[in-house]
Amino acid sequence: MNLDWLDAFLISGLFSVVIIIGLGLLLHLQLGLARIANFGVVGFFGIGMYAFGVMFVKVDWPFSEVWAFFISLAFGTLVAGLSGLLVGWLIADLDEDGVLVGTLGFATAVLILATTEQDLTGGALGLGGLKFPYDIGSVKANEFLWLIIVTTVVALILLYVGRVHRSPYGRLLIAVGANEPLARSLGKPAFRTKLWLFAVGSAGMGLLGALFGVMVRFLDISNLGIDVTLAAMVALVLGGTARVWGAVIGGFLTIGLFEIVVQSYIPFPQGWYGQAIPVVRQMVFGATLIVVLLFRPLGILGDMRRDKLMRSMHGG
Amino acid sequence: MSEANGSAMLEVHGLRSGYHGVEVLKGIDLDVGAEVFAVLGANGAGKTTLLATLARLIPLMAGTIHFHGEDVTRLPAFETAARGIGYVPQEKGVFPELTVSENLTIGGMIGRRSREDRIAEVFELFPDLAALQGQLAGTLSGGESRMVACCRALMQDPQLLLLDEPTAGLSPLYVDMFFEKITEIHQTKGVSIILAEQNATKALEVADQVMVLSLGEAFAVMDAAQLTTDQLKEGYRI
Ligand SMILES: Nc1ncnc2c1ncn2[C@@H]1O[C@H](COP(=O)(O)OP(=O)(O)OP(=O)(O)O)[C@@H](O)[C@H]1O
Ligand SMILES: [Mg+2]
Repeated sequence: MNLDWLDAFLISGLFSVVIIIGLGLLLHLQLGLARIANFGVVGFFGIGMYAFGVMFVKVDWPFSEVWAFFISLAFGTLVAGLSGLLVGWLIADLDEDGVLVGTLGFATAVLILATTEQDLTGGALGLGGLKFPYDIGSVKANEFLWLIIVTTVVALILLYVGRVHRSPYGRLLIAVGANEPLARSLGKPAFRTKLWLFAVGSAGMGLLGALFGVMVRFLDISNLGIDVTLAAMVALVLGGTARVWGAVIGGFLTIGLFEIVVQSYIPFPQGWYGQAIPVVRQMVFGATLIVVLLFRPLGILGDMRRDKLMRSMHGG
Repeated sequence: MSEANGSAMLEVHGLRSGYHGVEVLKGIDLDVGAEVFAVLGANGAGKTTLLATLARLIPLMAGTIHFHGEDVTRLPAFETAARGIGYVPQEKGVFPELTVSENLTIGGMIGRRSREDRIAEVFELFPDLAALQGQLAGTLSGGESRMVACCRALMQDPQLLLLDEPTAGLSPLYVDMFFEKITEIHQTKGVSIILAEQNATKALEVADQVMVLSLGEAFAVMDAAQLTTDQLKEGYRI
């Protein structure tokens, strides 16, 4: 396959966009519908990534590499989902401040564990030895195929989130987010609903983390920083927390702009890329979040949470 | 103590509850059968606290609640709702971001009757709502959203309905209409009702039994017809 036309930067840039869109979509269910501000996105992302990586690299698998790959992937997803269950259980009855501290604390704990458990994770040195479950020739071809696979996964997440949005389950999430005691008095198990939401969302974030780890092929604690959470949140808030497409639009506008346009198409001096641009990016993300929340709190797409102000369920 | 009175639907004994360790209700006893039971009392007397405790939204500090003989003291709200206790709070009774239809259909439903039958029935009771089905509940007027909240509770086919000041702040005509509906709900559907009210005159018109709450204590529990103005005034501390 001739991929000369394709810039390697473009592949990795698009890959970042797709991953952030996936995280933003999962966050949409938690923040957009159920109003749970999960500031620990990177924690679930990271625990999935490392659980997968450690399992895949450190275990002596008796079967073929492809099997080992998929078992490890399932393991990473499962561990992330279980940690989501645990964190969800801890924060379900807390107010917004408690949720902030709890989720942020979890992400910090993951970072600390990855740093200190050197035997498993390689600590600050990182963990190498990850690879694609296939080899179709050049590195670029392998990465391109992985981009397509992960895009498909994120498209499935979009489909799932879209379905939830229109389903009774989505309305339950909105109800629990808007007025939990009222939802309970109507016979809705709010606590269980939140736990399940956290478990599923975290499993999805962990899966994305593992898929990300495969692409970079080297797990590094620099991937566990708050900027991942921030990017997903900015993408979601910029596009509009109330809309399914919000995270998609936001993902392209934020990460797309920085990873692809700034990194590849604007001729900044070489030296800027390592130091200045990541810092500027974080500053711009933070500023964007503030500006959006001040001036368009419902995001670029959003006018109202639901499609129309007046809407009849009976087609009227 | 629990099965002492088999005839009552709801039996409450020695109920104490409050907020953050501060006791508001100081030992309440109640027996509610097939009737309209009015809870009167001044602002801050503890009416809302009592109803929310019965709906299992506020934990008990002491006492027991039996519903149809079953001890529901420790059950979470969503399970007592499933057993037939409907609750219409004093404020914030609708989900503003859902439409009227969605608000009506979101609750858990007891029994087998279809959703369409139930909707038709509540629209029969409150015909004005039919035209508002597609409207977001957050954009309703105060009176409209009270009606929606009440209908939503009725959609569940409750056996006991807890109504917390359903007419506070509404125009007199509206208040009359609502009290007629309360009687209608009780008589045609056979739903027992506990009605918290400031409006003693109106409440006493529809109630069978009445309790006057005064600073978290049951000042008087008796037949509604027997309550005298003096007793009422004393309960209200005027
Ligand atoms: N969330 C809360 N936290 C602490 N104290 C509360 C809370 N809610 C109510 N209280 C207190 O409990 C007491 C009883 O309040 P409650 O709302 O039950 O009164 P009420 O009889 O419903 O009054 P109203 O007629 O004004 O609705 C009041 O003294 C009030 O200040
Ligand atoms: Mg009250």
